[in-house]
Amino acid sequence: MTALICGGSKSGKSDAAQRMATKMARDLDAPLYYVATMEPSDDEDRERISKHIENRAGLGFETIERCRDIDGVLDIGGVGGVYLIDSVTALLSGEMFPPPDYAEDADAPSRCAADLCRIANEAAGAVFVADYIFSDAETYDAGTERYRRGLAFICRALADVCDVVAEASAGILTYYKGGAV
Amino acid sequence: MKLIIGGAYQGKREFAKKKYGFDDADVFDCAEHDGNIDFDAPCVYALEEYVRRAVKNGVDATEHLKSHRGEWENIVFICNDISSGVVPMGAENRLWREETGMLCSYLASEADEVYRVFCGIGMRIK
Repeated sequence: MTALICGGSKSGKSDAAQRMATKMARDLDAPLYYVATMEPSDDEDRERISKHIENRAGLGFETIERCRDIDGVLDIGGVGGVYLIDSVTALLSGEMFPPPDYAEDADAPSRCAADLCRIANEAAGAVFVADYIFSDAETYDAGTERYRRGLAFICRALADVCDVVAEASAGILTYYKGGAV
Repeated sequence: MKLIIGGAYQGKREFAKKKYGFDDADVFDCAEHDGNIDFDAPCVYALEEYVRRAVKNGVDATEHLKSHRGEWENIVFICNDISSGVVPMGAENRLWREETGMLCSYLASEADEVYRVFCGIGMRIK
């Protein structure tokens, strides 16, 4: 079972994804992995990460820190695991504008899409979380626009292979494909 | 008339092509034409770019569409949903965003079918 959950900031997508992944792992009697994709660059990031770890305490997740070559998580947890990838947004940031010089890697969107789809196709269960950043009237610089296009490309590719596609708003899921897990 | 809305890069045009069997020649892309909308085209794409020009030229986009009401009965309109960001700093962008929203509301009220495309998947909302 695989799911893609998209939504705005603080839309409840991470909580919904955690519930979904936990249920999948219970149903399959499979190990449950939380794949943290954000590369911390300052204290604010590190604080946010420790808050997320607190929130997940007691839910049975084993955390894997992985911000590059995301499908490598399958070598760590095996194809029998259930993976919560939170978030695709942060993964693409790190892959597309990698430190130390943050020069743009134009191949990052297609590489991430292929890696994430491999997880969706091979793992026993996976839930992907992405930010919905596609409905404003702002004019962005060309690099940011390519990033938005790249993130949408990955989401469309994942929507194609996942069993469930849902939008989170105010903690409520609207299903575009499949239904409640 | 049918209306397809959705955020940027969500696959609106591909959805329309698949659903209604359009090929590239059927799609009138407002971003690639300076003038008015070609109401003979089966599918009118990037309606928001027409609105952007209308705002620049001081034309009321919704009134223009209303005045041609009889000519677009069988068209599939596609428009980017630009409604959900922070209020734009520039006055012209603010007006663009509002005019686009008002045009979509008008077209949706007249449409037989309205779809919202999300991650490539179309959901019928009317």
